Order: sequence, then C-alpha cells, then structure tokens
Amino acid sequence: MTTSLPVNTSLPMNTLPMNTPAVLRAQIEARIPAAFATTKRPQYKFIPTGVEQIDCLTGGIPLGALTEICGSQVAYSGKTSVLLSLLAQATREGRFCALVDGGDAFDPVSGQAAGVGFSHLLWVRCGKTRQKLKPLEQAFKVADILMQSAGFGLVVVDVSNFPEPFVRRVPLTTWFRFSRVVEKQPTALVFIECKPHATSCAGLVLLVKSRPPVWTGNLLTQCNVEVEVVRAYEKKPAHSVRPSFSLNAQWA
Amino acid sequence: MFACLHVPDFSVQAAFRCEPQSRRELLNQSSAVILDGPPTLLRVIAANRPARRAGIEIGMTKLQAETCGVVVARKRDVQNEDAAQAALLDCARAFSPLVESTAPGTVILDLEGTAKLFGSPQRTASRIARKSREFGFDLNVAGASNPDTALCAARGWDGITVIAAGEEAHRLARLPLHVLSPSAEILDTLEGWGIRNLGSLAALPPIAIVERLGQEGLLLQKRARGKTVRTFIPAEPVQDFVETFEFDDPVETLESLAFVLNRVLQQLCARLTSRALATNELRLRLELESRQLRIETAKEVYERDWRLPLPTADAKVLMRLIRLDLDSCIFSAPIKKVTMQALPTKLRPSQFGLFLPASPQAEQLEVTLARIRGVVGSVDENGVACIGFPKVLDSYKPDSFAVRSFSTEKSKPGNCDPATPAIAMRMFRPALETSVEIVNQKPRSVTLGKRPLRVLAASGPWSSSGHWWKRPSAWARDEWDVALKTPDGIGLYRIYLDRIRRQWFVEGVFD
Repeated sequence: MTTSLPVNTSLPMNTLPMNTPAVLRAQIEARIPAAFATTKRPQYKFIPTGVEQIDCLTGGIPLGALTEICGSQVAYSGKTSVLLSLLAQATREGRFCALVDGGDAFDPVSGQAAGVGFSHLLWVRCGKTRQKLKPLEQAFKVADILMQSAGFGLVVVDVSNFPEPFVRRVPLTTWFRFSRVVEKQPTALVFIECKPHATSCAGLVLLVKSRPPVWTGNLLTQCNVEVEVVRAYEKKPAHSVRPSFSLNAQWA
Repeated sequence: MFACLHVPDFSVQAAFRCEPQSRRELLNQSSAVILDGPPTLLRVIAANRPARRAGIEIGMTKLQAETCGVVVARKRDVQNEDAAQAALLDCARAFSPLVESTAPGTVILDLEGTAKLFGSPQRTASRIARKSREFGFDLNVAGASNPDTALCAARGWDGITVIAAGEEAHRLARLPLHVLSPSAEILDTLEGWGIRNLGSLAALPPIAIVERLGQEGLLLQKRARGKTVRTFIPAEPVQDFVETFEFDDPVETLESLAFVLNRVLQQLCARLTSRALATNELRLRLELESRQLRIETAKEVYERDWRLPLPTADAKVLMRLIRLDLDSCIFSAPIKKVTMQALPTKLRPSQFGLFLPASPQAEQLEVTLARIRGVVGSVDENGVACIGFPKVLDSYKPDSFAVRSFSTEKSKPGNCDPATPAIAMRMFRPALETSVEIVNQKPRSVTLGKRPLRVLAASGPWSSSGHWWKRPSAWARDEWDVALKTPDGIGLYRIYLDRIRRQWFVEGVFD
C-alpha cells in the first residue's frame, strides 16, 4: 500500500524558483511517480508455533515474512523441537508445508511423535546424490523454486547442519530477494540456522538456547529451553524478556 | 442434417500437420508432394494444388517432379496418416458423437439435435472449420440433409457450403463428375457420352442408365440428384492417442526437438480435450539416426514414460515436464523420428473448499517437483526417493522410513492433534564413525570431529537386534544417550555400538 507525502502545488511550476525543494520534488515525481511514496507494511497473519511462550511473545511465525530460528549446531538448543511443533500446527490447519532439509537430518519418528501431518509435508533431501550443485546451494535453489511455485503455507529451509562460515558467505542479496518474494505471498519462510544471517531482511529472528537437561536416575527426561527474540516484525520485546519452556523426552 | 469434413490433398496435409502454423501456411502456398515406393524409384502419390498447377502429376518420379520447380517432397508415412485420420475424427467428435469415417481425409457427422448447442448449420460449419485449424487441417465443410450430398458438396467446393433440403439437385448440378468417385471405366464411358457434370448425369433416364452402366450407374445418378438413402455407419471411438513426426534432416539440438514436441503435444491435447479426456501417462519414443559404422545399433531408440498422479490435458504443463527431463539427457546420435502416445483417462473432478488454506495447484506442483528433482536428484544410493512425503516404516530397525510421492490431491487435512512439544532428534545419515572410551562399562569420552569430548551423563545400554535370519541385512546394536561437554554447552547425542561390525557410531543429536 503506497501513500504520497503532501506536496504544495498551489503555485504554478513556472512561478517557483528553480532550486526550491518543491520544484525539484515535483520534477522528480513527474518522471518517477513513486519516488517519494512510502510503503506501509501490511498486517501480518501468523502460524502458531505450538509453544505457548513463543506464541504469547511474538504471536507465532508471520506469514509473508522471513523468519530465522537459530540455535547451536553441536550443543542442545531445542530449535528442531520448535520446528517440529510449528510443522505440526501448520499441517493441522491444513496448510501444505515444505521442508528443505539441507543436511538430510529430519527424523520422521520425531516428526510423527510431534504430530506432524506427513501427507501435507513435502520433504526435500538435499545432498543425497551427485549433482552439479553443492548441498547448501541445492537447499537455496530448492527454496527459490518453492517460493516461485506458491501455494505452500510454510516453507522451512534447514541449513543448520552446514558450518556457519559457509552460510555466512551467502550474499545479502539472496536474503533480500527471499524477503521480497515472500512478502507478496501467504507463506511463512523459515530458516533454521546456527546464527542469524538475514539481518534486516528477516521479519522475526528467534534465538533458542538450552539450560542444563534433567536426568531422572539413569534417564534423560526433560530439557529446558530459553527463547530470545533478536528481531521482531514490530517493536522488539525487552532484552530481559526471555521466556523458557520445558520439553519432555518421548519416553518420559 | 449431416455435415461432411473433407481434407483436400489429405496425404500432403497429414504430412505437414505437425508443422507450426506459419510454416504450414507457407507449405500450402508452395509445391509439396508425397512420395512412395522403393527408395530407388520413389513416385509421386499425392500433390497439393500449387504442385498440380506447376505441372506435377501423380505417378511422376521424384526426379521428374523436381524438374517442375522448387518442390517440398516427403516420404509417405502410413502411421502418420492414420494418426491424422484419428485426429480428424476427434475433431468431428467435438460436435457430434455420431461420426462416420467415410474415407481417408473425409468424415461425415450427424448433427441432428445439435442446433440448440451450436446454432444454425452455417454457424456450426464455421465452428467446425475454426476447430479444425487447431488440429492442423485446412478443410472443406459442407452441410446437407443427406450424407452423400454433403460429401459431394465438400469435395466440390472449397470452404463452407450449406445446402438446404430440396435444393440438392439444383446445387449439385454444376459439380464435376469426379466428386462422385466413380470407377475409371464408368467415368470414361460418361465422358465419352459428353456427360461432364452432375446436372447432365441427373437428367439421363434411369432405366437407360441401368441398361448401360448397371446398378452402379443408377447409384451414381441418385447421388447426383441428391436423393440417396443409405445407412449411416458411426465409427467406434478409438482410444489410441498417438502422434508421430519424422524429421527431414535428423536434429541434434534440444531446441529443435522441443519445437516439434510442443507441436505434437498440442495436437494430442487438442484431441484429448475434444473428447473430454485427459492423460495421466505419457510415452515418448525417439528414434535415433542409425550409424553406418555400427549396424547393430540400427534400432537405437530412446524411450521414456511419465506417470502423472493427476490426469491433465494441459500441453504447457506436459511440455515443461518433458523439457525438464530431456535437459539432463545426452543422445548418442541425432534424432530422426518422434512418437508420442498419451494414455487417455477421465478428467479429474475437483472440489475446492472456500475456507481451506491455499494449496499448490496440482498441475503446477508436478512441474515444481520435476524442477526440484533436477536439482537434488531422484533417489539416493539406498534407493529412497529424495523428494516426497515421509512415512515411518513398521520396523524395529532405527531410522526406517520411506519417501512416497507427494500430491496435494491424495492428502487429507491432518486430523491428528499436535502433541506437546517434545525433544526431537536430528539424524546423521550415514551415521558418523567414532571412537568411545569405556570405563566401568560406561562411555567416558566420545570423539567428535577428531576431538574427544567428556561424557557428563549417559543412559544405556539399550540393546536391540533384527534381521538375524538374513545375514547381509542383520543388525545388532547397543544404544547410549550421552550428554557431552561441547564448546557451545551441553550436547545430547545418541551413540551406538554396532555389535556385528564392532564399531561405534554417532546416530544423531537431540535438539
């Protein structure tokens, strides 16, 4: 939605001095009508993540925006648990989801336990065959194809298996292109990474960290996860607001 | 009311039917002939009007024909003519279910009761002529109250002709005798009598004709008067949707091939659409040019089947699927002939929900999946598909899953309630080989990335085994869930000892 800023057009053009800002502006607008137009960001719709604490804080994952969920690659963070919960919620709503699995790390058993509707999930396993492109490039290329095809309610690109320096080398223009493509579609584009890379192109950035897990006797039974909103589509919550929640083991 | 569709110079038009519109028009304006016979003695069996004007006659040799000016010559392809006749029938079936295959290049259809649907006979004939151009024909259409009059009119006049009931004899009077297709003997006799047109034949006394020419002569006279009554024999609709195209010069580039494939697909889809059908299986056969040095490869062909989860008659979607597949093909020789077959099926009924979330369009999704397959590949080294929806297999073996083909049509909205978020696992495929230090029958350190990491807590061993009766696929393992001290914090990993190979592996990480 675009609106033009007010311009004083009470005086005819030839009566204005040549160097006034109004003249310059009028001349520019005559050639480029949208030069001084401001774009209003549309109101987002959300897909709930299924984690109450995150939904209360952010409203869920925004449609028409790029979201990053970040967590450590080697230490426990809980990012995959949040992802599976999100997929379960989205498939339950009847949305078709796509999971671009850069490192072929998705565990269908965990997905089934989380309640993901597999019939609504397109799973793309990258790097399993010898192709011209490397697995990381494949993941981005597939994401591009999926965004062009439209119709998917949620597209998740999991690149958290790749070393962080590799993902850092992805040009900023790529992230910018994704953010511009997704903003015109009723699709949530989610990247699972070790660290945020999309900078201002992301509408929402969540950083998930873990606290020490709980062992009951000889069994791992519970993990506690803390969420920080690094970047939000509107006013960012206070830095000190870091809700935490518990995740139980499937066998607990 | 009957309508007759007559394709003048059918063999020539059948040969050029799969050419693009602009080239077809160009060929219709220039001399074109069809040759047949042994390769050393090819003779002209059909010629178009410009060729006849240039002096080319049926029976001339190729050399004789070429002396009459610039001539486009093609060898006769019976398969192609059959396909053209089937296409002509399909074109007619778009207007009436009762269609008679009268002769090659000529069909008659019964239009009784279609006036409310298509309008007056004149308007129906115009529609038929327009529709026929989609099928690559430039034909004559004639409407009359009986099939034989319609047939004579279509053979006699170019374009659209409609003869009202009662005017048959009057309208047919000026047509030449050959529109009746008499035998050569009778035609000679009639010409000897000075009979040149149907009006002269119709004026002769019937008894005298029977005395001199027999029953055949009488039948010809009845046709000339437009008063024949015969049984209309509708043709059975064939389910064979095949189109072929043979290149004059074998092609080497994909662009040239795609150009023809597109045209062939358009023909097939037009035929399917006219019969309210679609296809869910497409078969392509490319015959490659035989190389003289290798006689054993004389029949070198490339064959490919595409099975679609949903029936479609959209030529653009099918073309993109074929193009994506052919992009990755390398042919050993230039392509000589293209044969494409579409297996017909009923159109897909679909019901959309007003309040359902948007979903990918089924036809578009197939193209998207084909493009993704081009990027990530089709199947991995274990034969599991790289793209589709996951399915957990009913097996005790860990990480047993299958990937099924994804479709928006088969899938139903998820009824299962999402469970409470739980600890999930990320797999390493294949599992990472590692070394584990065991102290007091418990892991003390695990090597990850050439770095030993101290075990803070361990849960196990959880023993399992299976397939012990099939030695190559037998498995036996002792699993441990371990908490490792990593530089980023505590990492929770699943490791296992393969009891058959006596080797430790890291199966995945909890996340």
